[in-house]
Amino acid sequence: MRNFRFMAILTTLSTYFLIFIGGLVRVSGAGLGCPDWPKCFGSWIPPFSVRQLPPEIDPNTFNLSLAWIEYINRLAGMTVGLLILALAIWAIIKYRKYPKILIPSLIVAPLTAFQGWQGSVVVSSELEPLIISVHMVIALMIVSLLIYISLQAYYYDIKLSAHENSYQAGIKTWAGILWLLAIIEVILGTQLRQAFESAAELNPLMSSSELLKIIGSIKFIHPLVGLFAALFMIYLISRLLSRKYQPSYLIWQCSWCLSGLLIIQIALGIIMMSAGLHAISQVMHLWTASLLSGVLFIIYFSLRQKGEVE
Amino acid sequence: MNVNKRYPGFLIYMVGAMIILAFLGALVANQANKSRTQIPVWGEVPNFIFTAAYNEEPFGLEQLKGGLAVLNFGFTRCKGPCPIMMPNMAELYTRYKNSDKIRFVTVSVDPEHDSFSVLREYAERYGVTDNRWVFLRAPVEQVAELCEGGLMLAADELPMGHTTKFVLIDDLGQIRSYADGTDKSSIRLLEEKIKILARNI
Repeated sequence: MRNFRFMAILTTLSTYFLIFIGGLVRVSGAGLGCPDWPKCFGSWIPPFSVRQLPPEIDPNTFNLSLAWIEYINRLAGMTVGLLILALAIWAIIKYRKYPKILIPSLIVAPLTAFQGWQGSVVVSSELEPLIISVHMVIALMIVSLLIYISLQAYYYDIKLSAHENSYQAGIKTWAGILWLLAIIEVILGTQLRQAFESAAELNPLMSSSELLKIIGSIKFIHPLVGLFAALFMIYLISRLLSRKYQPSYLIWQCSWCLSGLLIIQIALGIIMMSAGLHAISQVMHLWTASLLSGVLFIIYFSLRQKGEVE
Repeated sequence: MNVNKRYPGFLIYMVGAMIILAFLGALVANQANKSRTQIPVWGEVPNFIFTAAYNEEPFGLEQLKGGLAVLNFGFTRCKGPCPIMMPNMAELYTRYKNSDKIRFVTVSVDPEHDSFSVLREYAERYGVTDNRWVFLRAPVEQVAELCEGGLMLAADELPMGHTTKFVLIDDLGQIRSYADGTDKSSIRLLEEKIKILARNI
């Protein structure tokens, strides 16, 4: 299963990369860089200059940079879609007898196809905020399933022994709750952004700090829940890394990743509150959150894994 | 199983990848933001060949390309808007004296009276000392054709009915903006566009 595992990890990492590009498209305002779907300005490769536009298209709607950003997003999306499809076919052909690999593979392939179609709805809705958030949540679901497949392939390969780690049962619950909390934080974050964007729509000339003043309670809820989650995460990490419990290789690595992501996330939160909402800090904030929830997901299922082997 | 537990490799790779992506992402977001300040293309200047007063040699679209140009129409006997418009053009000519990225063109709508020598004298009156500001002469029908057909500006009953618009033409010979040559605020906006377009030359 070594090759399959490699493929599953590659697909997972590519999906994370795609989530990053997707966030970048969002903050660049390039979502409508191509006003049509699946083609871009009526052709499969977007125009390189305004002169190549078909005559029926108003040249004022064309922005070379935005069209190409959106086009690269679509290309990357298609590549990742094909990777996921290949992974699912591989699982169906060779790992039919392993339900823990087969079932998530059977779910992830149609979900990815749905996501592709939903991408077209995002474009035709002219970037309705709720529809973009749905696109984001489905992406998180897809990446979670891919992580689960990779993890199962990994555990199949290393044939984990029952004595590998010795955590108390409670810590598994902590990891699960924190994973849920991370997902809730992502959703709260998209709510905050929506509130921000609708305020900006009504007050086009306000600066981001002025806008922040007129936004309701969501601007307190998101950072407060975040702070709360961060404190519990520090506790979780301290337990996970304690040598007393002999952490497994994977848990040890993931706990360090979690610490790093936590520091990055807090730093980004402070930067955004003090230095304004720069496009790139928004993307990194959301992307770090999606990585963080992925790492928590790995930790949760690794802790469960041990229980099942016993 | 103890696979070098003391070395948090995942974390190092992850942070490395994040720094690279953050950098690339910042470039992309910046480019997207910049592209939004883009100035639309109104159309192409059609090919024309007139004659420049300073050397009495052909001057047309080919000579305009490669740099920005601000073009207007006028005539030396003009008593109406020209005494307001021409000093504004002269002001631009002086403002950009240290740049070879932009030149100025005035097309005479009264070629009967405006001979090359009359135009040269007129240029001198506005302090023109080099060929960054050229004065062009051509048969009045061709001037009307360029003005109405090419630049989409009014040219009724020349010379009196000439336009007072300044036309901003880019290095590819495309029309990028118009300004009211008698209105300083309109010209200030034109200067902003000149600044943006000049970055790409």
